[in-house]
Amino acid sequence: MPRPWFAGRAYRAVLRLLPVDFRSEFGDDMEQVFREQHDETWRDRGLPGLLRMWGATILDIVRMAPREHFSVLAHDIRYALRMMRKNPVYSLSAVLILGLAIGANTSIFSVVESVLLKPLPYADGNRLVILRQTAVKIGQDDIRFSAPEIADYRRRNRTLSELVEYHSMTFTLLSRDESHRVRTGVVSPAFFDMFGVKPLLGRAFRADDDTPGAPAVLLLSYEFWKSAERGDPAIVGKTYQMNDKVHTVVGVLPPIPQYPNENDIYMPSSACPFRARQTENREGRMMRVFGRLKPGVTLQQCHADLAAIAGRLEQDYPKAYPRTAGYGIASAGLRGELTARARPMLLLLMAAAAIVLLIACANVAKLILARMAQRERELVIRTAMGAGAARLLRQLLTESLILALLAAGVGMLCATGSLRLLTEFAGQLTPRAREIGIDFWVLLFAVFCAVATTVIFGSMSALYSRSRLAAGLKESGMQLAPPARRNWMRGALIAAQVAFSYVLLIGAGLMVRSFIQLRSVDPGFVPQRVLAVGFDLSWSKYGNDTEVASIIKRLLDKVQSQPGVGVAAIASSFPMDPDTFGMNDMGQSFRIEGAVLSGAEQPKVANLRTVTPGYFQTLGVPVVAGRLFRDSDNQTAPPVALVSRSLARKRWGAQDPIGRRVTFNDGKKWTTIVGVVGDVKEFGLAREAPEQLYMPLAQVGIVGSLLVRTAGDPATLPSQVRRAILAIDPQISITETKTLEEARSESIASPRTSADLFGLFAVLALIIAVAGIGSMLALSVRQRAREIGIRMALGATPGDIVRLVVRQGMLLVIIGLAVGLAGAVELTGSLKTLLFEVQPTDPATYTLVSAVLFGAALLAAYVPARRAARIDPQNALRSE
Amino acid sequence: MSNSQAGLTPAMFHVLLALADGDKHGYAILKEVAAHTAGEVQLSTGTLYGLIKRLLEDGLIVEVTGRLSAGDDQRRRYYRLTPPGRAVAVDEARRLEKLLARARSKRLIQALRSA
Repeated sequence: MPRPWFAGRAYRAVLRLLPVDFRSEFGDDMEQVFREQHDETWRDRGLPGLLRMWGATILDIVRMAPREHFSVLAHDIRYALRMMRKNPVYSLSAVLILGLAIGANTSIFSVVESVLLKPLPYADGNRLVILRQTAVKIGQDDIRFSAPEIADYRRRNRTLSELVEYHSMTFTLLSRDESHRVRTGVVSPAFFDMFGVKPLLGRAFRADDDTPGAPAVLLLSYEFWKSAERGDPAIVGKTYQMNDKVHTVVGVLPPIPQYPNENDIYMPSSACPFRARQTENREGRMMRVFGRLKPGVTLQQCHADLAAIAGRLEQDYPKAYPRTAGYGIASAGLRGELTARARPMLLLLMAAAAIVLLIACANVAKLILARMAQRERELVIRTAMGAGAARLLRQLLTESLILALLAAGVGMLCATGSLRLLTEFAGQLTPRAREIGIDFWVLLFAVFCAVATTVIFGSMSALYSRSRLAAGLKESGMQLAPPARRNWMRGALIAAQVAFSYVLLIGAGLMVRSFIQLRSVDPGFVPQRVLAVGFDLSWSKYGNDTEVASIIKRLLDKVQSQPGVGVAAIASSFPMDPDTFGMNDMGQSFRIEGAVLSGAEQPKVANLRTVTPGYFQTLGVPVVAGRLFRDSDNQTAPPVALVSRSLARKRWGAQDPIGRRVTFNDGKKWTTIVGVVGDVKEFGLAREAPEQLYMPLAQVGIVGSLLVRTAGDPATLPSQVRRAILAIDPQISITETKTLEEARSESIASPRTSADLFGLFAVLALIIAVAGIGSMLALSVRQRAREIGIRMALGATPGDIVRLVVRQGMLLVIIGLAVGLAGAVELTGSLKTLLFEVQPTDPATYTLVSAVLFGAALLAAYVPARRAARIDPQNALRSE
Repeated sequence: MSNSQAGLTPAMFHVLLALADGDKHGYAILKEVAAHTAGEVQLSTGTLYGLIKRLLEDGLIVEVTGRLSAGDDQRRRYYRLTPPGRAVAVDEARRLEKLLARARSKRLIQALRSA
């Protein structure tokens, strides 16, 4: 017969399947009953009977265990909900605080996941590279490629299996009954194959589409097909008139995010009339270049390969690659490239959100500690009786979990609500923004955040309380340890909250201050009440500068005769034009007459703009010296130019540039400088004003935008101006209308959103921390009511009591501030690159933030202190 | 029919019946149920204590302390039918009796016997 002790132990092991409560309640009895049953069965029925009995017993316990566990859970949930209902304000605020913190994290995570973590939505996207030409000596790191350069790199490289080009232009697409202004992606035939994009309808481009004389073909984007053609399934084969040629649709692209930009339609590179004029011009750099690494080739090998080609090009074409420019080539993984600008900001925001969550966690921990304190007597008795210790933990965890799931729900609501805002924000940093969405991983992240934080902090405080309970029981029976000692953990949590919110507030303060600095920068022009209307002239209709000059004059006369229009001008572009923001090419190189070009001398590069005479008055750019353009500066007059103050200073120093001559084509034609105008922050307020060179539009016929200074609100004028333009020539295509105030505002949208988000997180952190201080002191006052009563009975004044309580709170706040100060000095260094003319250790910000936090904490401490001072000593003593 | 009776399973009824004529400990209940059903209802320890827990929660039985007769193990716990428990058991017995009477009146039992 099996020894009874063995049977008992085996049975005990099986019993472990049951909830701990059940075991501690009935375990001993069950074991005893089992032993008796065991002995009797052995005696009466021998081994077969015994085995059957074992089988039945095990099966029985396995069957009943889930039900018992579930009943405990149901009980815990009911109990937890009852506890939450009993304390609705506290529970609601806990769920909201944790929910907002989780919402902040989930929102940022949805961006981080889509932008930084998900693979590119292309076949084998990690092997895609972007190539860029650089000129390090003149500070250019993203120069585009010319057609001859693309041909050279394609032919000579050994490390890329494919090399494709891309540029985007705007054309007018004419069908029989309507015309569309379309953004057109101009690409190598292999472009879509390389990215692994298969057309939804029809076919992609083929190599023979790109040969000279091939019939012109088009691919439509999914969005354009849906909106302009209403998703016509028979679209393949439809023809459009574009650039005076018939173009046939050969396919429709699937609904995928388009890189590098969104376009309405695509055409093969040879079909672009603008590119066609530049096929032999090595310096006509307008294309972006992408490649796919051959299998087994690393980015480093690719880079070495391309650098060798660049070296040879520099030798073969010294004129196109001046030594003084420090020409080179760079290649980078497309994925890193697309997200490089977003990465630091997103990681920083994620860190800020994580800090908010940590602060909220401290509140959850305090909630649980407070609950333990309320139930102290019950818990002490239960713990003393040796029962329910693990049960207690389970109950507390259930409460935390319910809290967590509710908070996760609030968090998901926040994340969904902020999705549009965040997509907009991320759109300023990365083209991947449109992939942002709430998916399974985001949901999982929210639930994980909620559960992990509450379970870890919940069980930590529960365990801590338990050990305190045991100690408390030993010390003095029902009366536990004095509050000051018992509350050290609560105190540490408060100090930590203060420290964390201080760091966040400093970060936010610096960002806000930086933004204010940025906003107050003088842009060099007066953006108020100026409307910019983008337009394009048909390439074929206005082919030479004289034709352009004539239509321009008629346009300006018409627009200026409109009521409400003050002055007007036409220019190739305008300051802070979002369309020219990314166009950071080599600029226009020119040579100053009489300057001797030595090897060490910098090439003369300037940002060029063609303008009509009214430009400077319209934008409010001041004349510094000389004269502005006149109507007489036309095709028949000698070529003239204006320079910006910084260009004048840099190129001529103390000398007067007026009357000097420069050449753009190596002395074939000389242009005379006739005036100097003020500097304009062309590329945004945070960047230096470029060295700007202006030429009369009547001499160099490049148009882009009509600029109008209005008498009243410029937002009321666009349709009137539009009608005026179309009255001159209905085929002029109008692209975009915006006020310069809007353009200026958009140029600082990214720092503004960062400052907003940081500010939001910081305010959240401050509220949570202040609420934490208040509730901790309120609890402490309740617990110390008796002690306070005694003090008052012994002659303490209400003022003494207020000071006592406030001192208790503010001591923790001061500790937290000190720790936070050290942390902030350490951590805000990483903000340096994001700050504009503000040091990470800006004393004003630190002073202000310290004062705000200290003041808020003082207020939070004062409320419970007042309540303590109103305690009636007699009541307090009686109640014990 | 009262609420507690609505949730009364046959196994619970067996336990109540076993306690009808006096306080018993777990093993005694087990043996009595087996004996009275001629071995048809064989409760395992898990089921038995699951039932006891539920009956305790519903207040149909109580634990009796301090009832130690000679030879009893100290750790053994005895259970006693409470007045509500007795009422529930009586109600259930009456219900079964009526059911049985109806079955007889329809000659179901005779029919069963003859089959």
